[in-house]
Amino acid sequence: MLLGAGLKHIYSMEGGIRAWKGMVAHGVPEAGMAYFSPAADAEEIVGLAWALEEGSKFFYQGVADHFSNDKEAQEMFTWLVSAEKSHEKHLLETYEKLTGKKPDFVKLRTRFSDSLDGSVMEGGIPVKEALTWIKDKKVSESLELAIAMEVNAFDLYVKMSRAIEDKQAKQIFEKLSEEEQVHLQKLSELFDARL
Amino acid sequence: MGVLNFFKSVPTMTADEAKRFMSEKHPDEYNLVDVRQPGEYERDHIPGANLIPMAELKDRLAEIDPEKPTIVY
Repeated sequence: MLLGAGLKHIYSMEGGIRAWKGMVAHGVPEAGMAYFSPAADAEEIVGLAWALEEGSKFFYQGVADHFSNDKEAQEMFTWLVSAEKSHEKHLLETYEKLTGKKPDFVKLRTRFSDSLDGSVMEGGIPVKEALTWIKDKKVSESLELAIAMEVNAFDLYVKMSRAIEDKQAKQIFEKLSEEEQVHLQKLSELFDARL
Repeated sequence: MGVLNFFKSVPTMTADEAKRFMSEKHPDEYNLVDVRQPGEYERDHIPGANLIPMAELKDRLAEIDPEKPTIVY
């Protein structure tokens, strides 16, 4: 059917998902997308993405504190806190570059406080629940959760970059997905080293 | 669609080749289509994949950019 539909280069992946040994995302196609309306503008996107990054930062800080007697683990998660911080910084720079103005975060915080309230991190996971979950878990399990969270965030950002109508917002999502990929690579390296 | 299309085989990529292809490209440079059922997609899917179940493919072809390479699984 696809061959007859005028598609130029089409490939079927041998063995399907069972042959795929890479990372997988979970959830229905619209998972997390409810936060981002396809009609949203750049300012709204940046505000929401920023709030989710902030949630991720709180989570990683909580994990770093939890593993305070494991120097290597603490360093890993502290690095992730700084990665999220630089991600936030990048978001702001991207926004300013695209729109030529600074986002009004006071306004945005008020606007999204009902739905997010700084308590949801990337991948749509509530920070409090995630921190409760890791209490009796090992470092590797916490890293697995972090990887799952970042994979879902990457999945969401790629899909949003395709679905979003506003060109500037599209660019923001593309940038976000690129950065998530870097976080993922780093996390995977750390995870492999701890196995 | 011409009758001969029924006899053409779709080129394949191994999972490793697909992984390499995707790592070398920006997600916006290709289409990644999951043609399985929604429940299977929900359980696990390749990050960034667009779900278009086989049965809906005919009606949703417009969602696939014909100018970009397409990987289907």
